[in-house]
Amino acid sequence: MTIGSEPVPAAPARAAGAARLLPAATTALAALLTLEPVPLPGYAALTPTLTLMVVYHWTLYRPDLLPPLVLFAVGLGYDLAAGEIVGVTPLLLLLARAAVLRSRPWFIRRGFVWVWAGFAVLAAGILFGQWVIASLLAWRLLGTGAIVFRAALSVALFPLASRLLGYSQQALLGAG
Amino acid sequence: MTPLTILRRSAAQRAIAPLLVVVSALMIIVGKVDQAVFESIRVSIVDHLAAPLALLSRPMTGLASLAERVRAAVALYDDNLTLSEENRRLLQWQQTALALADQNRQLRALLKLVPEHARAFVSARVIASSGGAYLRNLLVDAGSADGVARGQAVIAGEGLVGRVYEVGLLTARVLLLSDLNSRVPVIVERSRQRAILAGDNSPSPSLWYLDPAAPVRVGDRILTAGEGGVFPPGLPVGVVTAAGPGAPRVTPYVRLSQLEYVRIVDYGLADSLPPPVAATPKPGLRAAAARPNRR
Repeated sequence: MTIGSEPVPAAPARAAGAARLLPAATTALAALLTLEPVPLPGYAALTPTLTLMVVYHWTLYRPDLLPPLVLFAVGLGYDLAAGEIVGVTPLLLLLARAAVLRSRPWFIRRGFVWVWAGFAVLAAGILFGQWVIASLLAWRLLGTGAIVFRAALSVALFPLASRLLGYSQQALLGAG
Repeated sequence: MTPLTILRRSAAQRAIAPLLVVVSALMIIVGKVDQAVFESIRVSIVDHLAAPLALLSRPMTGLASLAERVRAAVALYDDNLTLSEENRRLLQWQQTALALADQNRQLRALLKLVPEHARAFVSARVIASSGGAYLRNLLVDAGSADGVARGQAVIAGEGLVGRVYEVGLLTARVLLLSDLNSRVPVIVERSRQRAILAGDNSPSPSLWYLDPAAPVRVGDRILTAGEGGVFPPGLPVGVVTAAGPGAPRVTPYVRLSQLEYVRIVDYGLADSLPPPVAATPKPGLRAAAARPNRR
């Protein structure tokens, strides 16, 4: 599975109206799924960063369909619903988007392993950022054990999420 | 996989992302300085999210109960033996309890003790749990329309879960015992020693401000102390499971990470919890919040 084996087209192919909402809809769904109470011991602390996976995927493949305003709205909705400190999730998602956009040219013509590795770096960075913000707001150093597990679980689940998003992308948005 | 395409953006589009980053950062700061700013917005948004969240949590609960059924079918014989044995023991306890309840009633009558408040409760389903590493709270599908109010105790099975700290019309948010911000006045049942049960986001909260002269032991039962007017005294909280050199750890009776249903109990104490105050309280605000509101 390679990205950009073809020369980069000048403009993305036009997709049908409703299908263009796919990236925004999957991002919102990922945020809702993150809120799901899963009756597994210790799950709450280890919930994989589903939203980050979706944001990474779409920012890499179709950034035109996932504008920053959507990330802001979804992040804000998540913070309000999860009882998080309002602003943390939009901030992290927007920073993730900026980082991915910046390094996007580098991923052209590279295989999926590199995309996966890119997600690992991003997840580590964002979870670290989350830890820094949470520690600053609580004004003490919080435990880091949960972050390591969360990052590991997210990285392990990324290929599955990426595959599912890739299928939905090809089915609804075509190869563009 | 599809090829990457070049992203063409106008100047206005380029400007919006940094602007939103700044707005997010400002919201964090504003929310930190005055925690009540977003509460009303939060509560109304969460009420609207209740329906999709409840819908999404159904398959998850279904999967969990299916797994439990399979496990139960496999372990049927062993479970049956254990339960028969337990039932035999519980029947003996029942006799003891009935005798004690009778005696208690007579002694209370002799002492002319003020009867305890009647307790009303609602049962609610857990529709969301915070998926973050630094929060331990639950969203349940009962709100002020069902009589839920800020500060009410939340229990499941026979143990304390936490307390209600945000109430919408249809939903309420529960602060778990394990949350970083949870502080519950408790009492060690054996020694009647008072302490504060402080959450730190780990599954086992720790006991603070214990008297070093009277150490707790592993296996000591921890109950609510009833101080602070939030919880009634004597609610079972958990058992001391680590009494090492550091602060002793308490494992709650309720498995906080596996809750599906909880009971929100009105002990008639809910009004005594002050509203969330700003970091710099205005003069008079604190006095109003601290106003005794007992019955």
